[in-house]
Amino acid sequence: MSVLLRQRWTPLTAGLVPLLMLASPAPLQLAGVPPSWAALWLLPWALVDGPFSGVLAGVVLGLLLDALHAGPVSEIPALALLGWWWGRLGRRSSPIERSFSLGLLALLGAALQGVLIWLQQLWWGETNVAALHTLLAQTLITAVLAPALCSLQLLFWRQLAPAVGADPISRMRWTRSR
Amino acid sequence: MASQGRWLRLPPRRLVSLAWPWLLVMLLLVGLRLSKGAGVLDLYALLSRPFWPGSAQSEWLMAAQSLDRQSRLQQLEADNRRLRGLLDLERGNPALVSAPVISRQAEGWWQQLVIGRGGLQGIAAGDAVMAPGGLLGRVASVTPTTATVLLLTDSSSKIGVWVGARQRHGLLVGAGSQRPLLRFIEQDGGVRPGDVVTTSPASTLLPPNLTVGVVQSVNERAVPAPEAVVQLSAPVNAVDWVQVNVQRGGKRP
Repeated sequence: MSVLLRQRWTPLTAGLVPLLMLASPAPLQLAGVPPSWAALWLLPWALVDGPFSGVLAGVVLGLLLDALHAGPVSEIPALALLGWWWGRLGRRSSPIERSFSLGLLALLGAALQGVLIWLQQLWWGETNVAALHTLLAQTLITAVLAPALCSLQLLFWRQLAPAVGADPISRMRWTRSR
Repeated sequence: MASQGRWLRLPPRRLVSLAWPWLLVMLLLVGLRLSKGAGVLDLYALLSRPFWPGSAQSEWLMAAQSLDRQSRLQQLEADNRRLRGLLDLERGNPALVSAPVISRQAEGWWQQLVIGRGGLQGIAAGDAVMAPGGLLGRVASVTPTTATVLLLTDSSSKIGVWVGARQRHGLLVGAGSQRPLLRFIEQDGGVRPGDVVTTSPASTLLPPNLTVGVVQSVNERAVPAPEAVVQLSAPVNAVDWVQVNVQRGGKRP
């Protein structure tokens, strides 16, 4: 469990998420709305590293992003939930690695993230007439980018932690070799 | 009787045939008099058209007019500042700090800018941020070298504004879209599309009389009070440098 987390430098890649969010490159936007960079980073990480590491990474990312946002709305609940869910999925016998599945997971994740933010805005009494537009645009652009970006990350993390959850033998071999 | 008959007698035909052109001229002159110069003035206008005041003159006049307006504006602003000073409305000594926009999130769940000047330059949370065109938002948080600006369009942005043409106060509430909503306090709004929205003339939190936008449409049936959609005057997506209204050396409200 949490193979990636034990390597010192790998969690530092999460620092790319706030940087990308701040830079918000214009070509990677749909109707002005950027993708959910947090979901795009968290998905391969949690799939490879399991639910515990996923939740931890979700909370860390949430704290990072909340620090950069004004207002009371928090991303921590959505990201922690997604980290746990994707971590559980990664522990299944057949590893998820097809780009279509990654796109679908990212789509659902971004949608969940958007819905939770929207609910929080409603809770705080904020008016958001463009909520549906933002939700749809962010979900779509995240799902479109996920197959490309998440597959590469997944390959990279799998090289570092070869199929930890996939089959018990390789996991044992990996643990013994340490 | 005979003498009267003589006076009423028609003039001899010879005289009439001699004088009829002069009578015609006389009639023309009478017509001219009654019509207050019709014909003559038109003729004069036709003849003098090449010498009429051209576009150059009108440009000189407009330039003079705008110079006059500018100097009056400066005088009035100076006057206004002096009077505000007397009223103790202005706290401290406001100064403008120019700051580059280093990150822009104009759409999405959060609508904010990050600017490249911060606490070291005297910027503090709550300072008004302006762009060419009007008010852009307020500083939400500050780090030593950066500041996060909450745009007027963000869902959590709320500022008090003033519709000068109708003498109405309202609350400008960000709606997450490009056009914030203007909520009125009174039931009878009376605001029409096209009215200019500014910051309140008596505002101390924000610089007074700063253009915010123009009312685009009004929903009279909104509950509990009328609502209007406001088109902001400062173009958020085209702004690269902003100005922050920093209060130096004074007590903060």
